[in-house]
Amino acid sequence: MIHPIIKAMSDNPVRLVVSPPPHWRSGRTIQGMMRAHLLALVPAAIMAVAIYGVQAAAVIGMAGTAAVAAEVVCLRLQHRDVNVDNFSAFYAGVLFAFLLPATAPWWLAAIGGVVTIALGRTVFGGFGCNPVCAPLVAWAVCRFSWPDAMDIDLNLAHFMANSPVDQLKYFGVQSLSQFEYMDLLTGHQIGGLGSSQVLALAAGGVYLIASRWTRLFIPVSFLAGVAGAAALFWFIDPTAYADPIFHLLAGSTVFGAFFLATDTASSPVGRLPQTVFGLLAGTMVIVIRVYGVYPDGVPFAIMVASLLSPLLDRLRPKFFGVR
Amino acid sequence: MFKIRYSLDCELDNGITDIKPPQELNVQVRNLVLKAKKGGVLTKGDIVAEHPSSMLGAHHVASCGKVTAVNYHSLTVKCSGEEDTVEPVDVRSMNAGAELLRTLRGLGVDVSQLSGKAETLVINGLNPEPGVSVAQQILRDGREELHEGLCLARELISPARTFLAVSQGETITLPGAETVGLRARYPYSLDPLVVRAVTGKEFPEHTRVIDVMALYALGRVALTGLPVTDTIMTISGRNYRVPIGTTINHLLNVLNIKVESGDTVVLGGPFRGEAIYSLYDGVKKGDYGLFVTSSKAIPAVQDAACINCGECVLQCPARVQPHLISRCVEYELFDQAEKYGLNSCFECGLCAFNCFARRPLLQYIRFAKTQLRTKAEATQA
Ligand code: SF4
Ligand code: SF4
Repeated sequence: MIHPIIKAMSDNPVRLVVSPPPHWRSGRTIQGMMRAHLLALVPAAIMAVAIYGVQAAAVIGMAGTAAVAAEVVCLRLQHRDVNVDNFSAFYAGVLFAFLLPATAPWWLAAIGGVVTIALGRTVFGGFGCNPVCAPLVAWAVCRFSWPDAMDIDLNLAHFMANSPVDQLKYFGVQSLSQFEYMDLLTGHQIGGLGSSQVLALAAGGVYLIASRWTRLFIPVSFLAGVAGAAALFWFIDPTAYADPIFHLLAGSTVFGAFFLATDTASSPVGRLPQTVFGLLAGTMVIVIRVYGVYPDGVPFAIMVASLLSPLLDRLRPKFFGVR
Repeated sequence: MFKIRYSLDCELDNGITDIKPPQELNVQVRNLVLKAKKGGVLTKGDIVAEHPSSMLGAHHVASCGKVTAVNYHSLTVKCSGEEDTVEPVDVRSMNAGAELLRTLRGLGVDVSQLSGKAETLVINGLNPEPGVSVAQQILRDGREELHEGLCLARELISPARTFLAVSQGETITLPGAETVGLRARYPYSLDPLVVRAVTGKEFPEHTRVIDVMALYALGRVALTGLPVTDTIMTISGRNYRVPIGTTINHLLNVLNIKVESGDTVVLGGPFRGEAIYSLYDGVKKGDYGLFVTSSKAIPAVQDAACINCGECVLQCPARVQPHLISRCVEYELFDQAEKYGLNSCFECGLCAFNCFARRPLLQYIRFAKTQLRTKAEATQA
């Protein structure tokens, strides 16, 4: 809270507002940014409800609400201004929900929302200070604590479709003939309730980039990293490895590219660092999908890349006039 | 509603209009060495204060009158309306050298760019900020003064090459200077960027840069032999010659501009100017603009944490890291801030302009620079 300072010579009837320069500003605010980001998630949320039914909406609502409540409590405890009206907590909660299976029990969504805020952000100093993307922290915590409840393939077994990344992991490339790329694109694959709505998420991501709330560097290089690394394996042996288009469309690749990797606090700053960061994270996705034990490498790939971002931040150009 | 723009080109429909000296002057003397006392009777052009540095010019009163009040911030002069001035100094007959520099300083000229020899002299003829057309106006209407100022500057610096940087498409020339057309877009009007555009180097050695406002002031001093007592300002698109110390209140009254509580009144330009907190503040030497905005037009600055979005870094023409600088300054780690490029920053304000979190980045940067300068001076003394 900034208190007004009454200065000498201010004893005149016209009270001017004093503020530091520049006196023109872009007019962009965190609130606007978060609103745009939430808007960008709307198509995917609608698709999720269309495919999984209202339970998907319930999970999103639960996680979002829990995150906001947790943020209020955390800020109160720290005696900070409660600024949940900037939607950042709600947005983080929704991102977490997008990674859950649509059948997730209410308590899982609630705990995840709370962990997103408390462990993902508050312990590191709050919004903007988290070294790793907050929803991913919660995802990892829940993944280790309640592996059964978090397991996409297991929980969604009663749906007709399969999870492409799990199929690849456990049954190999031959099993992938069951997937039409068109179906993957339109979200007819099982996965995180929002994170598998590829086309809807891509539309949201393009909107964010077009409106310049997100910069091009991370999403593009992330997708390039995924495609490039996948292509490399595929060229080596197309019978053992899936093709790049599959990797782009399966699992939460697109979600990660536009919404997780671009998390401002945990990604580096500047053109080159952001590009390298995206490439690294994208490559790591494929490495985990090929060699790792987790079917969908996206969350861990982004977390690992985030830990490198302080290093990547050093890839900056020389300052003006410094030789 | 106003519109944010970066273009520096303005339409010039009028000449420079003189603002009549007001009844009362408020000369800002903050951080200056006072040379006048309460009750003192002054003639137009008398010294009222000097700058503690050995380069910056003295400050003079713009009308005859009596000092009625002095405080740390300003010196108030009740004007008598007499037309007297101090004796002119014959600057033109003096030879280049320390004596001439001292005289110019005494007449209110900033000589930091004039002392010593240099290879290249760049005259920055671009309007400094959007909405300010002073440079353009002076290039059009102040040719005699500019010519005189340039002669004097060249005599002092004896540069091998002199360049005049103007907006692309303008065909202005000054005798002795090569004209270079530059894209007239903020922030490319700032001295370091103009120098880079002209010479191809960043902060090159042996190069001096003077903007046309300063060159004009120098020329006027040389022509008249009288100290600098006015400044040319753009107010609502027109240019006025304003006596230094004229209160903002007087200006607004004369020009019929309404200000309400809650407005922000800025001296200077929209990116770098200073918001005043009282309408009784006086215009300072070198102020080139005055404008009023409603504080509701733009989301207010906040004391908020950086979210590391990187906008400031991507927009910074000096390629520095304002987000890290500001974080250091928040904890008074000024030396640390230098590692993130503090000294390369030329205070364009684009970082704070673009900050999503609305952090006062330019303020932090200026604060850090001042603190470091003060510390350096203290250790020197
Ligand atoms: S004011 Fe900001 S944007 Fe401008 S040069 Fe300095 S740090 Fe860079
Ligand atoms: S623009 Fe503002 S919020 Fe973004 S990195 Fe820079 S200082 Fe931080």
